[in-house]
Amino acid sequence: MMALALSSAALLAQTANGTINSTLVNKSGISLVFDTAPGSVALGNSGTSAASANFGIISAFGTLSAGVTRPTVGPTTFTVQTSFDVNVIQGGLTSANYTLTANLAVAAATGISYKVDAVSLTTAAQTITTNGTYNSDVAHNLGLVVSMSAPGSGGPAVGFPITATINFTATAN
Amino acid sequence: MGVNRSSARKARVLLFLCCTLYSIAGQCQTTTGQLTVSMTVQSSINLIFQNNPSVGTNGFCSLTNSGTNNVGLDLGTASFTPATDSLACVAYSHINANTYQVSSSFDVVVTKANTSSPNYRLAAEISTVPPANVVWLVNNTALTNTAFTQLDASDNYSQAITKTLQVQVRNTVPAQSLLETVTFLATAN
Repeated sequence: MMALALSSAALLAQTANGTINSTLVNKSGISLVFDTAPGSVALGNSGTSAASANFGIISAFGTLSAGVTRPTVGPTTFTVQTSFDVNVIQGGLTSANYTLTANLAVAAATGISYKVDAVSLTTAAQTITTNGTYNSDVAHNLGLVVSMSAPGSGGPAVGFPITATINFTATAN
Repeated sequence: MGVNRSSARKARVLLFLCCTLYSIAGQCQTTTGQLTVSMTVQSSINLIFQNNPSVGTNGFCSLTNSGTNNVGLDLGTASFTPATDSLACVAYSHINANTYQVSSSFDVVVTKANTSSPNYRLAAEISTVPPANVVWLVNNTALTNTAFTQLDASDNYSQAITKTLQVQVRNTVPAQSLLETVTFLATAN
């Protein structure tokens, strides 16, 4: 009887423990993607950071592609416009918002200038907004201001595709 | 030389640490994207009708929707006898012993964009065959519904060109409403 009691007590005392010392570095980061805006030109590669917007055939007086509007015509220029969304996604930041800048990758072709919202673009970075909202689609207007002059007289080339690349940079505030 | 290499290594390590710390602290965060824009510009011309500066006086009735390419022109109610039209702005006359004419003038403005075309030609066409003994004219040129009739060979862009729409009605024509849609066609030269 005594032997059985001792054996039982010895078995109950068999415990073990351990600890894991774990670390995680939660790194912050932001990323930018372009999304198609409702009712606007459907972006190529929408949802990525390398998208494209094709205005199709544009003219001062002719029919425009779906999603393209012509807010102004004459006397010397006409403007065609569409909208697109910028979504800047952040994680691990205490930053409340972001600053968005844009610039043309190369100088614009003769007779055409580019605007994002009210800002005329150059090859130098221009500020589009200083308080962009994270993690949501923020709509911007993309305008093409086209000279109505004839080709060779200050107007753009006619009948040939014209392409431009706009670089956008979002910086956490 | 060995000291220099060691200093450079230390500087690189320091830079890495600084960037890592900035990143963890949430500073110095930027991201970029590229939007490629493409389009093809096409030349175009545009035609609008507008009121002549003399609008409201005899021979110059007001257009509805003036300044657009789709306007209305009311020539009122006219009769051979009594020789009159209900609208003071309509010019009324007997052009011979058995035909009266009503007319009103307006301006045509054609604008160009992205073209080196020096001028344009202007033509017009009516939409339906008029009743017998009724003739529709612009600047004394009779119009048909089978083909555009040229009015001008070389008009200047962005200049108001005054045109007069005329309707000639013989006294044998029964009482009725006369309605036509007159299409003007400007073609770049």
